[in-house]
Amino acid sequence: MADSMTFILNGKETVYSGSATARLLDVLRNEYNLTGVKCGCKEGECGACSVILDGRLVNSCMTAMGRVAGSGVVTIEGYRETERFKALDKAYASVSAVQCGFCIPGMVLASECILSKNAHPTEEEIREGISGNLCRCTGYNAIVKAIGIAAKEGDGLW
Amino acid sequence: MVTILANGFVPESLAECLELKAKRSLTPYAGGTDLMIEEDRGGQYLFLHKIPELKRIREDDDNLYFGAACTFTELLESALAPAILKAALSRIAAPAIRNTGTIGGNIGNGSAKADSALIFFVTDSALKLSGSKGERLVPIQDFYLGRKKLDLQPDELISEVRMPKKWLSKYDYQKIGARKSLAISRLSFAGLFAEENGAITHCAVAFGAVSDVIIRRKDLDSLLIGKTIPDAKAAKSAYIKAYEEAIVPIRGRVSAEYRKETCLNLLKDFLNKMGI
Repeated sequence: MADSMTFILNGKETVYSGSATARLLDVLRNEYNLTGVKCGCKEGECGACSVILDGRLVNSCMTAMGRVAGSGVVTIEGYRETERFKALDKAYASVSAVQCGFCIPGMVLASECILSKNAHPTEEEIREGISGNLCRCTGYNAIVKAIGIAAKEGDGLW
Repeated sequence: MVTILANGFVPESLAECLELKAKRSLTPYAGGTDLMIEEDRGGQYLFLHKIPELKRIREDDDNLYFGAACTFTELLESALAPAILKAALSRIAAPAIRNTGTIGGNIGNGSAKADSALIFFVTDSALKLSGSKGERLVPIQDFYLGRKKLDLQPDELISEVRMPKKWLSKYDYQKIGARKSLAISRLSFAGLFAEENGAITHCAVAFGAVSDVIIRRKDLDSLLIGKTIPDAKAAKSAYIKAYEEAIVPIRGRVSAEYRKETCLNLLKDFLNKMGI
């Protein structure tokens, strides 16, 4: 007999009774219409599908739904409601860090995970923190700069 | 309590988990980072992330114990994980994959490219395998029977890695990859070395991503153990020659010739660093 599981999706308790082996990426996009989660490679190479699972950055393409049972998932749609997002949004905009935008939801969530671990990261730590997030426009320098600006301007938020 | 889903189970204790594994054909899901990219993902999964027994990190006088479902990040953040292990773990993939990938999964996937498994080989670690009939401890070298072939029964799970504490302090770790992050090892090397009163008390090397199974040859390393540094220098060329014969690389994306030559260069570098 198939049962169901609960998890916290962007702060809301959510009941899921579908496949345990389905990709979190597909379920977020197709079932919950959270299309800020992008599908780039489906093999953990690009980070476009990054979400935050229990406070840590993960690739939702490599996460099966069963792994999420009892856990908390935050996507860009949930994160954008926070003060921290506003600081990152402003910083990214200030240096035009967004080009085509496809990698940006993942980049922003990776930025959050860098800053929540270390509120004052060095440039090297920032680069390490986004090393699993590819930007095919290759706009890395502006993104690295933006995260540094957010750390400075948003001081106290993290 | 076990959460039951359409095609998966999420147990919350090792006992529940082993009972399920004994009764059904289930694919263990540790971090999912290898499993989720496979073409054929049919069947039912047994999720291991909620089992406290598989998440423990502890020590006694002689050994360190790492739960098989510990993620790379959890071990990198642990004060008990030794520097040689952290050196390898910190170079696996990128943060999101280190946050999910586990040592048990890295070992159980059966690849000679597994970066954490290389460290378990060079440190002569043993695996605790838990099954419905009890548990057994298997040296990691005996666990790998061939490429993707493991000494693991259908009802068993890798539950813990036991790493001897002795000899961990002086080490070398080298990973050759095509790029800094998200790189699969083209070749990897780990070595441990110790000397006391001018005599070599321990020497262990292991080569990853070269052959079907990680190469660890205690019989060859014994050529140097017990020798003084000058005697070891005299035996150096015989030691390197022995490895030259022992290393039979597989041909893959990287040529066998490149693999072999680089292995020997890394071995020579290691000996130089250790003063031999």
